Amino acid sequence: MLLLAGPALLVIGGALLIPLLLLLLQSFVVSLGYGQLRYSFTLANYSSALSDPVYRTIAVRTFAMAAATASVCLILGYPAAFFITFRLKRARNLALFLVVASLFTSYLVRLYAWYTIFGQKGVINTALKAVGLIDSPVSFLLFSKWAVLIAFVNVFLPFTILILASSMQSIPDDLLENGRDLGASAFQSFTKVVLPLTTPGLVSAFAYIFVLTSGDYITPALLGGKQGTTLATIITDQFVAFGNQPGGAAISFLMMVVFVTVYVAVAQSQRYKGR
Amino acid sequence: MRRRRRSWGLLLYTAFVFAFLFAPVLMVVLFSFNRTASLTFPFSGWSTRWYEEVFASPDYRSAIAASLKVAVATVAIVGVIGTLAAIAVTRYSFRAREALRSVLLVPAALPGLFLGIGLLSLFIRTHTDLSLGTVAVGHVIYTLPYFFLVASNRLLRFDPLLEETARDLGAGSFTTFRKVTLPIIAPALIAGGLVVFSLSWDEVLITFFTVGSQNTLPLLIYSRVRQAVDPSINAISTLLLAGSLVFIVGVRRFVVDLQQ
Repeated sequence: MLLLAGPALLVIGGALLIPLLLLLLQSFVVSLGYGQLRYSFTLANYSSALSDPVYRTIAVRTFAMAAATASVCLILGYPAAFFITFRLKRARNLALFLVVASLFTSYLVRLYAWYTIFGQKGVINTALKAVGLIDSPVSFLLFSKWAVLIAFVNVFLPFTILILASSMQSIPDDLLENGRDLGASAFQSFTKVVLPLTTPGLVSAFAYIFVLTSGDYITPALLGGKQGTTLATIITDQFVAFGNQPGGAAISFLMMVVFVTVYVAVAQSQRYKGR
Repeated sequence: MRRRRRSWGLLLYTAFVFAFLFAPVLMVVLFSFNRTASLTFPFSGWSTRWYEEVFASPDYRSAIAASLKVAVATVAIVGVIGTLAAIAVTRYSFRAREALRSVLLVPAALPGLFLGIGLLSLFIRTHTDLSLGTVAVGHVIYTLPYFFLVASNRLLRFDPLLEETARDLGAGSFTTFRKVTLPIIAPALIAGGLVVFSLSWDEVLITFFTVGSQNTLPLLIYSRVRQAVDPSINAISTLLLAGSLVFIVGVRRFVVDLQQ
């Protein structure tokens, strides 16, 4: 029976495990630039990544943006998931389908859509100009962290709503009913039943969005301008533009340490609550 | 039974959320039919000239063909190995099952960037020429978890008694699979395949690192957006959207499977 899972495990091994090990290995060797390596052990890639003040600023910006995206997604998504799960009946499946449809709406097209909205000759600027509010185009939206945040939230919100809705759906009807029979107000049944039971969903959605946004280099590159440099764009540049794979790999693994910490913390917190 | 309460505030709020999700994209679709290149309302007229431009352009045509090739290859490979793995999972003990599940879900928990740079390093060190084939490798590892989730969820809810009955009635294990198991899980496999197609169809994070000289459609769009304002991007974006949405509408009936 192990045979059946064999091909999948081979793919995981060959296309995930080996590449990641290779990255780890590269992060400890000397880069001669332009893709050339010298295979002698060094910690220089890590020490230069950790000591560079520019990297530190960018790391703070990256993780702050990721945390902000995840928080805004949860705050915006929670009431919508609540409404879909508890207030809709016949329309519930349609609403969930729409959320799934938007999840699968091309991520790149959505970024491009924001690009056309925020741009110099974009929807907002031309509209403001037409109404006579401004004379020359304002450019504070495109190429700013706000554009990046709005686009990120737009991309990850459907996913948030789905996770939250599915954790709300698993709340047994009886629990809410009993609460009401015992005289709980709508507010109480929310704070005493719904909120605690959906906390694991909130926590895992936060972790997942946090990790995926901090690893995204397309959104900041497209919408963030100069302020848009993140750890992911630095890694991309190291790999593609400078051919400094060891440097890029070291930053990647430092990021990975953050991600693993986040995931382990999530798993730990849920185990605690579950038993 | 849940009591229905009036919650106009929440209704309005949810409508706003949906508008936020869909309005920008709908705007791109609208502008793709605009007669002029400007991004202003009201329209000066409708036209399909941007679509004609797209279909006349060899760049776009070859990018569409490349994306189709990669997506079809990815669906075929992931469909086979994912189905086998999903069947395997149902036969294992609880512990082995959970272990296999978590291993197979790892690629979905990592940002595409890491899959991309990892594969790029592997291809550089093994002197593999980057091509659409290497892109497909990236797409296989990226989409496998999603296919596996959809397929294994269906299989785990599958009543093993049905297979046992078939075997008691004298069917061999291959006949049992073909006549009993496969027809029941087929919808989930199709749904999984559609999900894989649409994920591959607009993947850009991993493709960026694993692609050779041949552009895929999303990469072409990405490079065009960065260059200049070009209204044909509206049209090609709409085609990209249509490509993945047609598939998702096909999955509509399996929406329950997707959520779990």
